[in-house]
Amino acid sequence: MEINDFSNEPVLPDQLPDARVVATHPLSTRYRLMNLISVVVIFSILGIGISILRFQPWLQLPTQLLSVYPLALGVISFLGIWSFAYHWFADPLIRYAIRQQDLILHKGLVFRKVTCQPILRVQHIELKRGPFERLAGLARLQVFSAGGSAHTFEIPGLPVTTAVQLRQFILDHKDLDAR
Amino acid sequence: MSGTQLEDDISRAQKQHSQIDMGSEWQRLAPISIAYFTASNIKQFAQFLIYVIPALAISSNVFEMHSASYLISAAVGVVSLMSLSGLISYYFYFFRVHNQHIEVKSGVLNRRHINLPFWRIQNVKVEQPFYYRPFKFASVVFDTAGSADEEAKIVAVPLAYAQKLKKHVLANTFDAQNGSPDVPTAPFHANEENEEIVNQRSMKDLIIHGITNNRVWILLGAAAPFYDNASGYVFSWLQSKGLNLDQLLGGESAAWWQVGLYTLTAIVILTALLALLSIGGALLTLYGYTLSRDQDRYIRRSGLLSKQEVSMKQSRIQVITAKQDWLDKLLGRVNLYFEQNTTGTEQHAELMSPSKLLIPSVTVAEVRALVNGAMPDSQIYRIKYKSVSKQFLTFWLGGWIWPLAILLISISAYHQQWQEVGIILAVSIAFTLILILRWWRWGYGYDQRYIYVRSGRMGQDYQCLEKYKVQQISVVQSVFMQRKQIATLKILLASGTVTIPFISEKDAWEMANSALYAAESSRKSWM
Repeated sequence: MEINDFSNEPVLPDQLPDARVVATHPLSTRYRLMNLISVVVIFSILGIGISILRFQPWLQLPTQLLSVYPLALGVISFLGIWSFAYHWFADPLIRYAIRQQDLILHKGLVFRKVTCQPILRVQHIELKRGPFERLAGLARLQVFSAGGSAHTFEIPGLPVTTAVQLRQFILDHKDLDAR
Repeated sequence: MSGTQLEDDISRAQKQHSQIDMGSEWQRLAPISIAYFTASNIKQFAQFLIYVIPALAISSNVFEMHSASYLISAAVGVVSLMSLSGLISYYFYFFRVHNQHIEVKSGVLNRRHINLPFWRIQNVKVEQPFYYRPFKFASVVFDTAGSADEEAKIVAVPLAYAQKLKKHVLANTFDAQNGSPDVPTAPFHANEENEEIVNQRSMKDLIIHGITNNRVWILLGAAAPFYDNASGYVFSWLQSKGLNLDQLLGGESAAWWQVGLYTLTAIVILTALLALLSIGGALLTLYGYTLSRDQDRYIRRSGLLSKQEVSMKQSRIQVITAKQDWLDKLLGRVNLYFEQNTTGTEQHAELMSPSKLLIPSVTVAEVRALVNGAMPDSQIYRIKYKSVSKQFLTFWLGGWIWPLAILLISISAYHQQWQEVGIILAVSIAFTLILILRWWRWGYGYDQRYIYVRSGRMGQDYQCLEKYKVQQISVVQSVFMQRKQIATLKILLASGTVTIPFISEKDAWEMANSALYAAESSRKSWM
């Protein structure tokens, strides 16, 4: 390290950069739409599927299975409505921010969670695109740190160009080179 | 080193580098990888089949499938589909090794694009399935500290290139990390005389450790006099539900109380044996325990029959945990753990695990000395721990346990099942007591350099972590918590998560911000 750019001023607790005051950005508006549509599609397929199985004339089903049908349909529609409502309300609340040194993600409907990932601690990066995401032109950026895959930092629902730019920002970051 | 030698080294390094780097062009794998993809698809399918077999067996009975001749053609169809999917996977797989990064694009429906810098790679494995061998191909697996299942893999490259890549990446990694990975090494280092012994455990300590670490069995043994009553009660309860054990066990040959007595005796003997076994196990693995220190490296040696040695660099310690269960507390002993990165390493039994260095059953005074050696100026026992908010109890008791208990109790009461009411009540009260203890034990503190967490129920655990080692930080707040200005702090370290629930919002953010600042401004590695 050059001696010139070394500084070691004392920092008081209230002078520390605060992760709360950073302006955050919303995800692509298509993200919620995509989730809502996929919920509708998946649960409709499930519902129609078991209805076809129930009313088709070719195969005699056991009566026990028949009696479960209304319950199963009820459960499927309940779960469908539940996740539809969840995405409706929760998706717009996901917001992210990029600081010089770290990435910040806000998410959660009842439990609001603010996660902060220092770029210095990034191990590797992945850009993921599922079939629905590719239809919507979106991508998920995953950033891996040490400490387990359950805690992977993920920004979902980014427009592809933004996601690629973000990845490049992280890759070019000098802290990623810290060894 | 002379000038020419240095130049030689540099040119060799450059040559090697140019051989490794593939340029910015995306590469396709060797076609042999189709076999690899097909094989892994078949493997996945077979794993899936294991779950489906029972269902298939039933349906084959129902539809009389076993006699059908189309089964063979179906199998052929499945296999050819697998090969087709192998071919498709091959066409969608691209990779490049460029600018000290490994990049992989893969997946058909779910597209993945991985970026992995060389210096973040923890380990490299070169694998050679049997069908690669004749063609001199290999697959290269890169472990990062991220996780085991998210590793990057280059599926098929010539063996020579794989070896070269491995060598290059590992040289790079160990330059960066300045040392070898922490694995159990052969005992008796050459430079043993430089070491300074930090701690030793005597026979007595190890016997104590053996006893205290199998508390459950001892508790079971102590509770033996009550087994009879309890089993009688369970028996009559089962009987009232129409389940007759007498009939089940063949009431002709032995009365139920005889069976009970046999079981009781067996359990008591088993308990005693297990306690002995536990002491024996402790002696076997921990006999002659010494913890020594060679500059920045801790080395533990122990073992009766086979002497084992585990070494851990001081800088790799993520968190120090001092565990004291109720029996330890009675005897004034503490199990101290130095924990390092848990991911990427294979699972080991706790005693010999390289990711957790155990110092068994030390006294409280020794803990202070040991903690101060590894984390200087740590105030693990001195700092004033602030308690967790009462909202913790409100949330768990008022939000979950009692609403659920009241619901279940009213259902049971409606059906006039008074015994069940009693049981539910007893269980809820037990949960309540445990939660109150948990709340009472849970505390936190912080200073310039460290964060401290106290937790436990009957026992008491202390944790100390250095701020700059954080990997990621989360602050969680529900709408209600926000109103009360309370938040939960989660600190992710390479060794796992440390959670401090329901603390004041101000403290949570102060710790979060200062830890982030410590990491980002120091730019120090966590390893």
